[in-house]
Amino acid sequence: MIEFKNVSYSYNVVDADGNAVDKGGVSNINLNIADGEFVVLTGGSGCGKTTITRMINGLIPHYYKGTMSGTVKIDGKDISERPIYETAKNVGSVFQNPRSQFFNVNTTDEIAFASENQRREPVDIKMSISETASSMAIERLLNRNIFELSGGEKQIVACAGINVLSPDVIVLDEPSSNLDFYAIERLKEILQNWKAQGKTVIVAEHRLFFLRELADKLLIMQNGEIVQELDKEKISTISSAETEKLGIRPLRLDDLKAEFQHREQSDITITLENFCFTYSDGEHGIDIPELEVPSKSVIAVIGHNGAGKSTLARNICGLEKRFKGVMRYGKKTLKNKDRLHNCYMIMQDVNHQLFTESVKDEAVLSITDKSLSEEEKEKKALDILSQLDLNEYADIHPMALSGGQKQRTAIASGLASEKEVMIFDEPTSGLDLSHMKQVSDELIKLRKLGKTVFVVTHDLELILSCCDRVVRLEKGTVMENYDICENNISKLKAFFGKEAM
Amino acid sequence: MEIGVCSNKNGAFIKLDPRSKLLLLITISIIMIGARTVEVEGVLRLICAAIPLVLLLSIREYKASFIYLLLLGSALICEKHIAPYTHGICNIVLMMICGLITRFVAGYMMGWYTVKSTSVSEFITAMERMHCPSFISIPMSVMFRYFPTLSEEYKSINDAKRMRELGHPFSQPLTYIEYILVPLMMSTVRIADELSAASLSKGLSAGEKRTHICEVSIRPLDVFAITGTMVMFVLFLVY
Repeated sequence: MIEFKNVSYSYNVVDADGNAVDKGGVSNINLNIADGEFVVLTGGSGCGKTTITRMINGLIPHYYKGTMSGTVKIDGKDISERPIYETAKNVGSVFQNPRSQFFNVNTTDEIAFASENQRREPVDIKMSISETASSMAIERLLNRNIFELSGGEKQIVACAGINVLSPDVIVLDEPSSNLDFYAIERLKEILQNWKAQGKTVIVAEHRLFFLRELADKLLIMQNGEIVQELDKEKISTISSAETEKLGIRPLRLDDLKAEFQHREQSDITITLENFCFTYSDGEHGIDIPELEVPSKSVIAVIGHNGAGKSTLARNICGLEKRFKGVMRYGKKTLKNKDRLHNCYMIMQDVNHQLFTESVKDEAVLSITDKSLSEEEKEKKALDILSQLDLNEYADIHPMALSGGQKQRTAIASGLASEKEVMIFDEPTSGLDLSHMKQVSDELIKLRKLGKTVFVVTHDLELILSCCDRVVRLEKGTVMENYDICENNISKLKAFFGKEAM
Repeated sequence: MEIGVCSNKNGAFIKLDPRSKLLLLITISIIMIGARTVEVEGVLRLICAAIPLVLLLSIREYKASFIYLLLLGSALICEKHIAPYTHGICNIVLMMICGLITRFVAGYMMGWYTVKSTSVSEFITAMERMHCPSFISIPMSVMFRYFPTLSEEYKSINDAKRMRELGHPFSQPLTYIEYILVPLMMSTVRIADELSAASLSKGLSAGEKRTHICEVSIRPLDVFAITGTMVMFVLFLVY
C-alpha cells in the first residue's frame, strides 16, 4: 500500500542567471495505491508525474534537492525516514534513458546488481537469473556488452534486473520513449507478467496505447496536480477523440485518422543511388540500390530497431566517409561531401548539436553565406527565429531551454544554413501530445518552406498527422515505399501491429 | 575502448584474478623500464614481454597481439641492427623511439589486457577483497563505466559538428576544442547525474557490504602467477 498524504514538493534549481529558485514538482497530492494495483500517470511534460515516481523509489527526498511537505508511506513506512538502499529492497525502478541507467558494462552483472546490493546469496541470484532468462526468453542477452545493445534490449535488461530482485513495487518512468513497436510489445508482456504476479506497478508515460489492457487507474496530471482519474472501464473504452480533448496521447491506435490536407506533390524527385553500406561488424548496414522519393515533402522512415534507419539517415547526411552512394536531387548529383553541405540532421539528443552561448548565435553560426555582413546575418537569424517562435529566447543560453525549444533551436540553425534536406531522428520520443503536435506543425512548416524532410520515427501518431510518404526498411533493404493516402493507411497500420488495426 | 567485455566470454582459456593482473602489471612495467638487456635481466625482460602476448591471445585479441609483436619486434631489430649504422640526430631519435617502445609497450599491453578482461563487478569485488574502502572503489568503477559513454557522446557531437561544418582541428584548434568540450561536458554531467540516481535506486550504498555473483578467487594459476612475479622481482632486485 502506497499512501501520499498532502504531498507538495518543489525542486531547488539554479536558473539561467545563477539565482536559486523553486521549480516544478507537485502540489497537494493525495493518493492511495493498493497492493497489486496497476497505475498509469500521464500529462504534459513537467506535469509532475516523474516527481511522483521519484517519491516512491526514495530519490526524493534523498537524492534530488528540494522542499517537501506531507508524507509518502509504503506499507506504513515513511520514505523520507528510510535510507534509499532500504527502499530499494521493495521498490524496483526502470528509467527513461537506457543510456544512463546501467552501472555495469556486462549485462549479467547488471541484472544481478540490485540483488547483490541487497546481499542475497550469489548461488541464489544466479538461479534467479537463469529462471528470469528462460521466462523472458533473453538467454541471448546474457553476458553481453551493454553498449552493443539496442535501446529496446537495454530496457529489457533493466526489467530483467527487477525480475531477479522481485520487489513488491515497480515504478517505470517513461520506459517506452526510446522503443519501437516490437520492443513495446515485449515491454507489455513483461508488465502483464508483473501484474499477474500481483506486483504493484506505477508507470509514468506519454504513450498510452500499450497500457490500455493493463491499467487499473489512469491519473492525468497538470501543473503538479492530479486533475482527472479514469477507472478501468473508462480506460478500455475511451476513444482517440476523447483522449485528445483531455490533452493526452491516445489509448487506442485503431481509430486514429490521417490528415490528408497538405498534399501538393512536387514533380522534382530525389533519388538515392547505390546506398549500400556495411558496418565493420559485417552484420548491420543498408543495401539500397535505388530509392525514389518526392522532394518538398515529409517522408517517414520506419522499420524495427536495427533495420538500418539510422544508417540510412547518417548516409543521407554524408557522415560515413567511405560511403560511395550518391543522391540525385532534380538535376544535381550530390556525393558524400556535397550532401554534408546540403543535408542537416536534427539528432535525437539535440544537446549534442548546440554549441554556442545564445539561441541567436546558434543561428548566426550556421549562416555560411560569406557575402552577408554581420548585421545582415543577425537580421536573417532573427527572421528565422521568429518563424519558429523563438525570438523571445534569442539571447538565452540554449542549455537553459526546454527540450522542445532546444529542438526548435536546432531546426533554426538548419534553416539558417539553407540546407535543402532535413532529417529528424526520432523527434518525438518522450514527448507529450501537445509537443508531438508542435513537432508535426514544424515539419509541415518546413515542407511549406520547400524543404524535403526525412523523419526516422516509431510514432504512428506523428506519421498520421504530418507525413506524406512512408519508406519502410527491413534488414537494410527497402520493403515498401508509398504515399500516405486512403488506400495505404491499412498497410501503414499493419506495420504498427495488431494494436493499430 | 571497451571494458570488461571479454571477462565472461567462454573463449578465455586463462582466467586470472584481478589482483594477480594488477601485480603482473606493476612488475612487468618496473622490470621492462628498469632492467638492462643482458644476462639474467635480459631473460627477465624476455619473460615479461611474453606474458602480455600470451594473455592477449588467451582472450582472443589476435589483432592486438599481432600489433604488439610487430611493434616490439621491429623496435628490437631497429635497436640492434639499424640504429648502430646511423649517426647524429638520426641516431638519437631512432634510439629514443626504439627505447620507448621496448620499454613501455609491454606494460601498456598488460594494462590494456587488464582493463579489457576485467568486468566492473570483478573489479569492485577484488578491491573489496583487498579491503579497499568503497568510497575509492565505487568512483573508480564508475570511471571505468564512463569511458565507453564518453566515446559514444564524442562520436555524436563530432557528427553534429561536421554537419554544421564547424571548427577544423588544425586550422581552428581552439574553436574545435570549444565545440567538442562544451557539449561533451553538458551531456556527461547529465548522464552522470542520471547514472547516480539509477545506481542509488538499485540500492548501491557506500557504507553497506554487497554480495557478488562473479567468482573472484585465487586459483592455482594465480598462485603460480603471483609466486612467479615475486621470484622475478627478487631476481631483478638482486642482480
